[in-house]
Amino acid sequence: MSITEIEFQASAVEGAPEQAVEGRSQWQLTWGRLRRDKVAVTAIIVIVIMVLLAIFAPAVAALVHHPVDTAYPNTGENAAGNPVGPLTNGFWLGTDDTGRDLMVRILYGARISLFVGIVTTLIATVAGVTVGLMAGYFGGFIDTVLARFTDAVLAFPYVVLALALAVIFGPSLPVIIGVIAFFSWAGVSRIVRGQTLSIKEKEYIEAARSLGAGPFRIMFIDILPNLLAPVLVLATLYIPSAVVFEATLSYLGLGIQPPTASWGNILADAQNFYQNSWWYVVFPAAALLITTLAFNLLGDGVRDAMDPRTERVLAGRRGRRERRRLRAQRRSVVSGGSGVPGTDSLAIPAGDD
Amino acid sequence: MTDDVLVRVDNLVKYFPVRTSGMIRRTVGQVQAVDGVTLEIPRGKTLGLVGETGCGKSTLARCIAGLLPTTSGTINFEGKDITNLSRRAMIPYRREIQMIFQDPYGSLNPRRRVGAIIGDPFAIHKTVTGSERKRKVQDLMERVGLNPEHYNRFPAEFSGGQRQRIGVARALALQPKLIICDEPVSALDVSIQAQVLNLLSDLQRDFGLSYLFIAHDLEVVRHVSDQVMVMYLGRVAESGPKEPVYESPRHPYTAALLSAATAADPETAATRQRILLTGDVPSPIDPPSGCRFHPRCPKVQELCSQDEPQLEVKAGDMPTHVTACHFPVVAGENLAVVASRR
Repeated sequence: MSITEIEFQASAVEGAPEQAVEGRSQWQLTWGRLRRDKVAVTAIIVIVIMVLLAIFAPAVAALVHHPVDTAYPNTGENAAGNPVGPLTNGFWLGTDDTGRDLMVRILYGARISLFVGIVTTLIATVAGVTVGLMAGYFGGFIDTVLARFTDAVLAFPYVVLALALAVIFGPSLPVIIGVIAFFSWAGVSRIVRGQTLSIKEKEYIEAARSLGAGPFRIMFIDILPNLLAPVLVLATLYIPSAVVFEATLSYLGLGIQPPTASWGNILADAQNFYQNSWWYVVFPAAALLITTLAFNLLGDGVRDAMDPRTERVLAGRRGRRERRRLRAQRRSVVSGGSGVPGTDSLAIPAGDD
Repeated sequence: MTDDVLVRVDNLVKYFPVRTSGMIRRTVGQVQAVDGVTLEIPRGKTLGLVGETGCGKSTLARCIAGLLPTTSGTINFEGKDITNLSRRAMIPYRREIQMIFQDPYGSLNPRRRVGAIIGDPFAIHKTVTGSERKRKVQDLMERVGLNPEHYNRFPAEFSGGQRQRIGVARALALQPKLIICDEPVSALDVSIQAQVLNLLSDLQRDFGLSYLFIAHDLEVVRHVSDQVMVMYLGRVAESGPKEPVYESPRHPYTAALLSAATAADPETAATRQRILLTGDVPSPIDPPSGCRFHPRCPKVQELCSQDEPQLEVKAGDMPTHVTACHFPVVAGENLAVVASRR
């Protein structure tokens, strides 16, 4: 290291404003790291575009003058009665087998998919966190009952059971949300329970008890903030699986019922036409793929940002991540080593799911 | 006399069952962590509690703080029995009895801001709310020597000594009468230890606090205590006012501990003979018969393994200085010689 470099570093330290170490929360630090992750940022942009398109689907329908459930037998089908291709007769992504605008239907399908994905994840997360906290904190009999129930839910062949439930209760949006949420909370619960078991032994929990805090205050004010990181990562990764689950149910005819559009039932209808109308299969499948991929990559990015020490799953980027991690370490050393508070508690235990 | 006693602990026993693992958990033994301890904490004074690691100091503290249920015995606070109260019944006493913990890193929630941590007692007891709470917290921070501007920082942004000050501020918030300090400085650098100890004694002077001060560092205990109690394997070995216990210890264990401590005064250090104890502390699951110290005692005789000595005032001692030993150390006796002869 040359003298000028040392001087440069020294001046950088001196020049660092006092506020550099001022109260940056875990979330600010996480966001700072996430923002530098190009993949995660791209994923966020894709998700935002998807959400905006879903919200403004009626506006798009109005723009192209093709209401979602209206069939266009004359312009939307060719002489043989088959769907027309993309950019034909004003249909940007072509039509489906009854001559409806495929693009408008995919956008309406996005509303269902994203709604189901987000709502079920919210329900499953709240339920899983509550059950996991109670089981882990109270222990004993309550833990035995709740943990065995969690194990039982995880042990179900859930697709089969979901199909049975959908048949019994009849396919409708609330039933689908209920079924998916019922099979999703157990994973959250198990991780939360495990983390709670270790956190409740910490001295600050004893300190809270010595102040007179009750069990629910300790669970939700003292323990929960320490669990938010793994729970948030898990929730981000649950959204795409809920989206796929909904598509699966709808594809099998037990989810969203026609004429309401859903990616699953569009694909189900499309499977008879893949030989002569490729767009009918490709576009809804692409929408599903892009959405789930974006959420998965965002989940990875959030996990990496929460805990810079975990390895990224995609091998190709390892070198770059390594360099980035070293840079981050240097930064935290410069800022007094306090840049990353307690990151060791953030790692999701491997193989616990 | 009674009015001068804040806390009276009578024959406190705490056993932890040792269970087999697996579905059917049989109790196969008991860790006799605290076995019949009687003590009094004088109002406005400090009772120092010393002993080796694992002698039951912290367990005793947690029982008094109501964090662990006792096996038997009673704990009286200002004349009221607070033994094994339910959480709700204990709440009014929580205000009076606070605790400072050993680990300045583990005892502060890393995900919560300092203002929230120190404000917790107010929030839990619903005494002060809103902006008043923030003002009070900042007053407390100032009182313990923290910058009130750092209200919104996280514990990770403070040094060990500062963190311990946060713990002190939290314990002070409800203006308790008793603060139980469980090795409050043993995790700190020596230079920082003195600062925190001075803060504690300033606070005692200003607020009339009583302390139960636990440490394994004898010099620290000498510095802060009025009364001293020495524990060995869950029992009290010797107890009394600070000066006689330090100047003329009667229990061989106390004498051995004192001889092993580093002396601040080099002359004392040069002349002092170290009494080397052989062996380890026996397991509290299966403590020795008779006097628990007898396997390691330099003055051991046959009686020691058969009969358990009771706490008594030994000849020539003041009436508050009690020792549990059949053959107490007499003034001028050289235990190191005794030990080497054996």
